[in-house]
This record gives sequence, C-alpha cells and structure tokens, in this order.
Amino acid sequence: MKQFGTILRFELKNYLKNKIFVGVTLFFVAVIAAVMFFPRFTGSSNEETAPETEFTSERETASAEGLADASDSLPAMLLLADTPEHTAAVKQAFTEAFTDYRVLEETEGLDHLKAAVTSGEASCGFVFQGLDTYTYYVDNLSMYDFTTEIADAALQNLCQLKAMVEKGVSPEDAGQILQTQISHETESLGKDQRQNFFYTYIMIFALYMVILLYGQMVATNVATEKSSRAMELLITSAKPASMMFGKVIASCLAGLLQLIAIFGSAILFFNLNKEYWGENPIVASIFDMPPELLLYMLIFFVLGFFIYAFLFGAIGSTASKLEDINTSVMPLTLLFIAAFIVVMISLSSGSVDNGAMLACSFIPFTSPMAMFTRIAMSTVPFYQILLSIAILVVSVIGVGILSAKIYRVGVLLYGTTPKPGAILKALKKA
Amino acid sequence: MKLELQGIRKSFGSKQVLNDISFSAESGKAFGLLGRNGAGKTTTIRILMDVFPADQGKILVDGAPIDYRETGIGYLPEERGLYPKKKIFDQLLYFSLLKGMNRRDAAKSIDHWLKRLEMSQYSDKRLDTLSKGNQQKIQLITALAHDPQIVVLDEPFSGLDPVNAMLLEEVVKEEIAKGKIVLFSSHQMSYIEEFCDDIAILNQGSIAIQGNLRTIKHNYTRDKLIVRSEASDAILSDLGCCCQRTDEGTLKIRLASPEEKQGMMRRLTETYDIDEIRVFEPSLNDIFVEYAGEQEEKTS
Repeated sequence: MKQFGTILRFELKNYLKNKIFVGVTLFFVAVIAAVMFFPRFTGSSNEETAPETEFTSERETASAEGLADASDSLPAMLLLADTPEHTAAVKQAFTEAFTDYRVLEETEGLDHLKAAVTSGEASCGFVFQGLDTYTYYVDNLSMYDFTTEIADAALQNLCQLKAMVEKGVSPEDAGQILQTQISHETESLGKDQRQNFFYTYIMIFALYMVILLYGQMVATNVATEKSSRAMELLITSAKPASMMFGKVIASCLAGLLQLIAIFGSAILFFNLNKEYWGENPIVASIFDMPPELLLYMLIFFVLGFFIYAFLFGAIGSTASKLEDINTSVMPLTLLFIAAFIVVMISLSSGSVDNGAMLACSFIPFTSPMAMFTRIAMSTVPFYQILLSIAILVVSVIGVGILSAKIYRVGVLLYGTTPKPGAILKALKKA
Repeated sequence: MKLELQGIRKSFGSKQVLNDISFSAESGKAFGLLGRNGAGKTTTIRILMDVFPADQGKILVDGAPIDYRETGIGYLPEERGLYPKKKIFDQLLYFSLLKGMNRRDAAKSIDHWLKRLEMSQYSDKRLDTLSKGNQQKIQLITALAHDPQIVVLDEPFSGLDPVNAMLLEEVVKEEIAKGKIVLFSSHQMSYIEEFCDDIAILNQGSIAIQGNLRTIKHNYTRDKLIVRSEASDAILSDLGCCCQRTDEGTLKIRLASPEEKQGMMRRLTETYDIDEIRVFEPSLNDIFVEYAGEQEEKTS
C-alpha cells in the first residue's frame, strides 16, 4: 500500500510537471475563456447595427442597379413579381420577415436576377407567378437553408390577409386575427433530448478524447520504462500490481484534473458572462446539467478509463520498442472507436435505446459511453444502470489483475514483440 | 546470514537454461558467480531477485524460504537503466522509497552515497546528461542506498574506467566489511580473485566447480612446475614436449602425475643452475578457462 502511494505520487508528479500536459490544459482554458467572454465584447456592437439595418432597408427604394453602390453589408435578396402591386406587397412582407436581408426589386428581368445570384451580387432571388407560387433562386443551397419556410409563412400570411380584406374584413381586424398568438408548454415526463443533446455530446466527446489520449500515455509510459531498461529495477523494487494500479490511477487523476480544470473554467466563465449570453438556448442547455448526471459521468468516466488504461498499459509492456506502440494498440483503439461511432450515430439519430445501444450498454468496453448516453438521453430502469456498473466494476478488477500479470511477463520479453500465444504461455507459467 | 540456492532449474521453452544450480553465500563474504556468456549467470540472479520464478528449487535465507519483504536486497541489474529524463536525486529518492525507506532517511542516505561516489554535483542534473560510467555509479546507488543485507551486482565493473573501478572496489570492500553478503557476477577474473572468498563457475546452466577459492586453487592438480633458469634452452631440449616456455620467460613443466613432483625438482636443481623452482598455482583465469572452456569443448 505504501509502495502504491509512492508510485501514485511519482507518476502524478510526472504528469503535473509535464510541460505539454500543463500547456494543453492552459490552452483549453484559454480557448474556453475566449468563447465565453466573446458575447461580452460583441454583444454591444450587435445592438448598434440593428436599427441601422431597418433604416437602410427602408431608404432603399430601389433597384438592382443600386446594388453595387450600396454601402450596407447585408446580403441582397431580389424579387421579381408579375404585377407592380404584387411586387410592393411581397416586398413589404419580406422586408418584415427577412430582417437580415436587403430586399430589393429586380427590374431587369429573370436573366439578370440569375446572373446576380450566380455572381454573388445577390444572395438569392424570388420569381413570383401570382402571390402563391414562386421559384426560389440560390447559388449553392445550404443544408441549413430555411429561407423558403420563412417565405412560405410570410406569403401565406399575405394571401390570407388579402382574402379577408376582399371578404369585407377591415385590414386592421384581419391583421389582428392573423396575429393571434398561440402559447404552449411542453412538459417532458422522461428526458428532453433536445435539452440534453449538447451536453451529452460534449461529455461523450470528452470521455472519448481523454480515454484515448491518456490510454496512449500509459502505454507509452510503460514502454519507455521498458526501453530505458528501468523496468528490471522497478519490478524487483515494487509489486507489478502496485506499479500497474499506481500508473493507471495516477493517469486517471491527471485526466480528471484536466477535465475539472476545463469544465470548471467553462462553468466559471459562463457564470461571469451569463447576462451577455442571454437566452441562447444551446449554451443554456449545456450549463443546465442535472447533478446526478455529473455523478454518472464521473462513475463511467473512471471505470471506462480504468478498463482501457489497464489494457493500454499491458500492451505497452509487451512492446519492445517505443515505435511498436502505435501498431500494438491499434486493435484496442479500433474497438474503442467502434463503440464511439455506435454511440454517436445513436445519439444523433435520437434513438438511444436501439438494440445495438442496449447491448453496448452492458458490454464492459462499450458501456461507459453507451450507458451514459442512455442515462442522459432516455429513461433507463435503475436496475439496468446498476447491472451495467456492476459488470463494469467486476471487469475492471479482472482486467486490472490480468494486465498486472501481462505487465510482469511482458516487461522482460525483450527483442521482438511477443505473439499473444507466447504471452499466454508465459502467463500460465507465472 | 546465509543465503542458499538449492537445486534451481529453469527452462525457456524447450531450452534448459539452468540445471540443478546450488550454492550458498555467507555474511561478510563475497561470492563470485562466473561463467562464459550465456552460461546462466544473469538467469540465476534474476531468479534470486524474483524477476521470474524457477521451475524447481528453493531459495533459503538462514534455512527458511526467502521473504522478499523482510530481506533487503540491493540489485544492480546487468541491463542498466533508470529514467533518462528525470533528475538524479528525484529518481534515487523514488527507488529508495519503493524499497520501504522513509523520505528523510532516504534523502540522507542518497546524499551520503552521492558524496561517496563523487557524484554530489550531479544531484540536480538529468540522468541522460551523464556519461555511461557515471550513470552506472548512479545505478549502483539504487542498489546500496537502502542499506540492504544482500547486495547482488551483475557485471558491476563493465563500463567503468580504472579510477571508477577502483572506487567501486573500495565500496564493495566496505560493504563486505559491514558484514553483508555480496554476490558478484563478472567476466573480469582479477576482480573476483581480489574480493571473493567463494566462487561458482557456471557452464551451460550447470555448476562446473564451486567452493572456497583458495581450496579450489590448492586442490588444483599439483602436477606442473614453474622453473626460472639461465639454462632454460638446455632444459627445454632435455625435457621435450612436456616443457613449455611461458610468456614471462619461465618454463612450465607438465608432469605425468603429482607424485613425480619431488623427483623432478631434485633432478632439475642437481642438473642445472636454477634461479627459482615452484609448484604451479593456477590463477582464477586458468581455472576458469579449464572448467568453462573444457566443458564447451566436450559438448561441441
């Protein structure tokens, strides 16, 4: 136990004194600080530009000819309708609907409109047949282009207003009728996936990065001791189990410290700048994480970390040269990446309780990510959570003991990297 | 304290590496383990250090199976190596703490040894800034700092310059004087001859000869004479093929049996002008070549 403490302290100090470790942590904290303080410095300038936009779009009477001279930086939207009345009506409706565009009339015809869109002079164009039919022209259609949805809504409103006025309703009444606001509330009795998606995503990603990075570090650490021949002295001075557990727990603590530094500074900086972020729903949802989820995160992080770090350490001990590490750890890395992909696909599709995820959440190598995702995104029976954790704990202990044995045998097999069969044979003997 | 190895056998795969190795070493004495490359010296030491287990056999301390937690063993492995990128003091402290010392005693002991081995000025330096010989001195400290009862040194003199070798010699003598068991392995016969009371010569995994070095020398078949004489040419032609000139200019006469010794001595002193005549006492080197080399010839 005393030896274990000595090894733990020594290894942890190695991490904390490592310039790269400290540098990377500080870098992340700096990036988070920059992101979190961003709205504090940009928020005010947004407010300044907003009224200006309205002013310019009203002043702009004009035509596409005036486009090039326009000093405004907003993208241009061109309209070509069949009658002047339609043009005026649509222009008014679109100016209200698209506040981040300069809505302009196209006076020179369809070809000029197309050319302007293609050349980038205008961002998009609408050509109307009547008020209820139009063609939308755009250069490259973005995946996230919702322009037609907004246009449809604006036009529907316009048509309904026109129809009501024609039926004898006064324009004011018609406007009021159309502006009736529906208020609604959604109460999710289970988990709100929209709310939980972002922080689950971030946490799974953090889990993935930390396990992979630190796993590699453990493997390299062991292989370095082996290649520098410090190993023989080490295993005659300390028990291999103490060595293995000391190394793995030290790297786990270092990883946790790093995560705490990064997430802690994120929470701190967010709270410092809370008022500037206002009602940003994504950011708010990230920082509105239930505490019990943090606890599960910690449990699955630690257990998942252990099971992989032990194996990485054992593999590191069988590599005879540092250069061999990358190829030796490949199968383990691939297994982990496969688990990550399954989880990520399920997470993005929203069906986190599918068959693959259900299976993965009980397999020790995939359960840290899979079960955590299910807990965060869906309602998982408590016995399943317990079962998953129990399987994981037993596997961690088993893998820990096995890897300490492999370590003991592996570290003295110099020369070529031994085949798995040779290791098994040596294990039986030991 | 008495350290005993009894009937140690070890094989790697189908290759028998050690075959029934038994020897014992006592406090206040140095024990030399000799053998050619691949004879099994390092394997024996690794089994003694519990790096890997023997297939068969026992290791006893004062008659009871060795308890590695109780018995302090200092070990200088043949594969030298520490942490190249770490400060020397830090890693020495780490190894001493692993051996169960407390921080204060460890620091004191390390300071003492750094001074003793003239390495104090490197205490804060990284190991890889040192020359190979100096790195070896640092490694020696890991074997001695925790004041172990048994010191196992695998090829301690390889890579040391004569000045450092002399320093190591002094240190080893001090350790022996403190009543420790020092177990050596070496190719360098002169050192073994100087320190070791008892030796074992390994050959192809078996002990070819072992025991007290003086007894071994004494029991060495006394059937050769060394003669120094101005008339060496005449003696050489007189005795023929049983007489050889040595590198030192003396003559070495091989007799048919030890019993002829007296007769031959008398005959030579009566016949020739003899400056010196004595029974040939082999050096350890001679014994080594005879036992380690001969067996090789038999098997090949």
